[in-house]
Amino acid sequence: MIRHLLRVVWNRRRSNALVAIEILLSFLVLAAVSTLVIYYVDNYRRPLGFSYDSVWLVSIDMNASQVLQGQPVEPGAQQGTDGLEDSPAARRARVAQLLQLLSGLPDVEAAAAATNAPYSPGSSTSRFDVKGRPVRFGTARTTDDFAAALRLDMVQGRWFGRGDDGSAWRTVVINQRMARELFGNEDPVGRFIEEDRIPKPDFTPRPRMKVVGVVRDFRKAGELEPASNFVLQRAQLEDPALGPVVPQTLVVRARAGAASAAFEEQLVSKLRAAAPTWTFKPVAMSLARDRVLRRYVPVVAAALLVALFLLMMVALGLTGVLWLSITQRTREIGLRRAHGATGFDIQRQVLGEVLVLTVTGVAAGSCIAIQFPLLEIVGAVRTGVYVAGLAMSTALMFALTAACAWAPGRLASSVDPADALRYE
Amino acid sequence: MLRSYLKLAWKILWRRRFYTFISLFGIMVTIAVLVVASALLDHTFAPMPPEVRQDRTLGLFRARLVGKDSIDSTAVGYRLIDRYARNLPGVERLAIVSQAQTVLSYVGGHRVESRIRRADAEYWRVLDFAFLEGGPFTDQDVAGGSFVAVISASARDAYFGGAPAVGRVLEADGQRFRVIGVVSDVPATREVAYGDLYVPFTTQKTDAYRRELLGDFYALLLARSPADFPAIKSELASRLARAELPSREYDHLYAFPQTYFESVADDVFFDDQADRSHPERLLAVMAVAAFLFLLLPTVNLVNLNVSRITERASEIGVRKAFGASSRVLVTQFVVENLLLTLVGAAGGFVLATVVLWLVTASGVVPHAELALNLRVFGAGVAAAAVFGLLSGVYPAWRMSRMHPVEALKGAVR
Repeated sequence: MIRHLLRVVWNRRRSNALVAIEILLSFLVLAAVSTLVIYYVDNYRRPLGFSYDSVWLVSIDMNASQVLQGQPVEPGAQQGTDGLEDSPAARRARVAQLLQLLSGLPDVEAAAAATNAPYSPGSSTSRFDVKGRPVRFGTARTTDDFAAALRLDMVQGRWFGRGDDGSAWRTVVINQRMARELFGNEDPVGRFIEEDRIPKPDFTPRPRMKVVGVVRDFRKAGELEPASNFVLQRAQLEDPALGPVVPQTLVVRARAGAASAAFEEQLVSKLRAAAPTWTFKPVAMSLARDRVLRRYVPVVAAALLVALFLLMMVALGLTGVLWLSITQRTREIGLRRAHGATGFDIQRQVLGEVLVLTVTGVAAGSCIAIQFPLLEIVGAVRTGVYVAGLAMSTALMFALTAACAWAPGRLASSVDPADALRYE
Repeated sequence: MLRSYLKLAWKILWRRRFYTFISLFGIMVTIAVLVVASALLDHTFAPMPPEVRQDRTLGLFRARLVGKDSIDSTAVGYRLIDRYARNLPGVERLAIVSQAQTVLSYVGGHRVESRIRRADAEYWRVLDFAFLEGGPFTDQDVAGGSFVAVISASARDAYFGGAPAVGRVLEADGQRFRVIGVVSDVPATREVAYGDLYVPFTTQKTDAYRRELLGDFYALLLARSPADFPAIKSELASRLARAELPSREYDHLYAFPQTYFESVADDVFFDDQADRSHPERLLAVMAVAAFLFLLLPTVNLVNLNVSRITERASEIGVRKAFGASSRVLVTQFVVENLLLTLVGAAGGFVLATVVLWLVTASGVVPHAELALNLRVFGAGVAAAAVFGLLSGVYPAWRMSRMHPVEALKGAVR
């Protein structure tokens, strides 16, 4: 049966090759779309690790020369217009004052500062080598109230606080994924992250990091971000070891029932009064989240819509091509019927031929699609997501071609042998 | 000759309506997608009010400080523009405008978000804004740091409920501005013109910007004619080569006078060779993307066309038997296919118009007025022609190679 099918397909190889190419190309489109959808659905289902309700992000633009970071272009340029010394330490002191002011407000439950926060633009990624293996991670420097402001989900150890003042290392809390990557199944709490020493002349080792706790996760870019490593580093604003680092994002949690536009307005007017030369941009974290999601949705929706139209076109086209090939082969089909083949047999043959073409197209398409993860062209996508994407597109492709073959198959099975043999 | 081809083609299209419909559906959707994409690009890069003198305008969009192990790349700082870009030969006007920054106001308890741009007075002379009320701020306003603002029509709606705004005062980011003019809205795709509030750049909260080589400004250089572009570029390059750098960490300072498209290409293909610009790479990527997109519809149409050859085998056999050459038959079939594609393209334009109208109405791109224009129309027709040729040539070749005797019998494999 299969040999027979292969021979029939081979005999019409020229036009069948074109159909197989069309199936290959549609399979690639399907694979791209399925992978995209599975990727985002998979990301969306994972826990965020923080709560965004009733939280405000206030990003600060300090209206000071950015790139030069304290290096004067002209003598005396460090003097700000308001007469205050504009060094990083002075800016940190000002941030500390603002935090104190906010914590004193009756409607504020917790206020913290960080170098970056969930849904805020900008991010910081870093890497180091541990036991010869590169470990990449996102990171943020945060003050002690950060966990309370975002209600981080601690699963092991503790959050950092005043008790960590004056330590000779950086106190950090990491997410579960990072803990697994660094320490496997061992208990990470109390362990140091030992960075490899690279024998290079200009290598200066970073301060050691001590892990005091583990959070379930911390997904800085929100629901659509793929699972990734994260390290939350303690920033103590009075600590001169912070060097040029100035946390420029405030994270403020309102008390239950206090979250409103009036709360935001009050927040901003207090901040403006306390630091008139700075620009404050507050945004409810739920709104920031909406915006991040809304930036993705039109792009993904447009891609899906275009893919849907392409597939509709392919479905119609394949049906048309198969239909024409059936009318052209009426005599052949009539002969088979005359030899005793049933209508069901004929329909099975039509379907079988299409399946042979689909297998060819999908196999070739998989060879192409598999290159993307192998050559690490799209690094962010996990292998599991890829496999699921390919499986889903294979299933869809077979369903699509089988559906296209159904109506022409019916036509073929209803051929009357006597008429067919006379057909010209 | 051509007329008889077209007549024949028209007849054949009507004979098998189902297949004509399938083919037309594919062509329509394909052309519509390409037209929508080119309309979006056109809306971002092509000249349109208020950027009416774009043909002789170059911009400074990016400045780069390059060191041994670091490259800093941001918009241009005021100090770079003021110190190195003024009085370039061949430049008629130099306008300075900041990147749009989001600022907040609270109007009657409601949160109003606006995009503020800080500019100089030349900005109003390089660009041609349509004033609905009042007028622009002047050189004196900029020099004196007057708190005056030109606002957009939608900002007028947000702050004053649409009532006449000139002379009234608004508050944004804790600063109070007197409105002196109202301009019509500019689409959010226009990088140098889009905004809600336009104020003198001297109203910034601190004067830190005056010390920045890298900052958040753009400069627009209006040349006397495009012929002056090379001289402007080389003069600025030689001035920057001698520039005083902020620290020994850095070796070079670069800023290229370029079109906005070129600057986007540079951002996409950011490389260590920061002294070159690569617009051709972005064009190539766009062309390849369009080609890949066309691939599936083309194969689909080729398949349909090849199948339909069978249907016309007897016609081809007769024509061959009476001595029609392969060339004639190929031409005939390609013309037929071009006609089909162009009819499909017409449908594609209608579909694209609907999609563009929907996108405009949805407000995904603020203030965008997406529509077909001559450039977009031309791009669509060109795409349809390429599509028609690609999908017509192979089936025509197959058809012309049919053996007349077999063709007459109607047997093809």
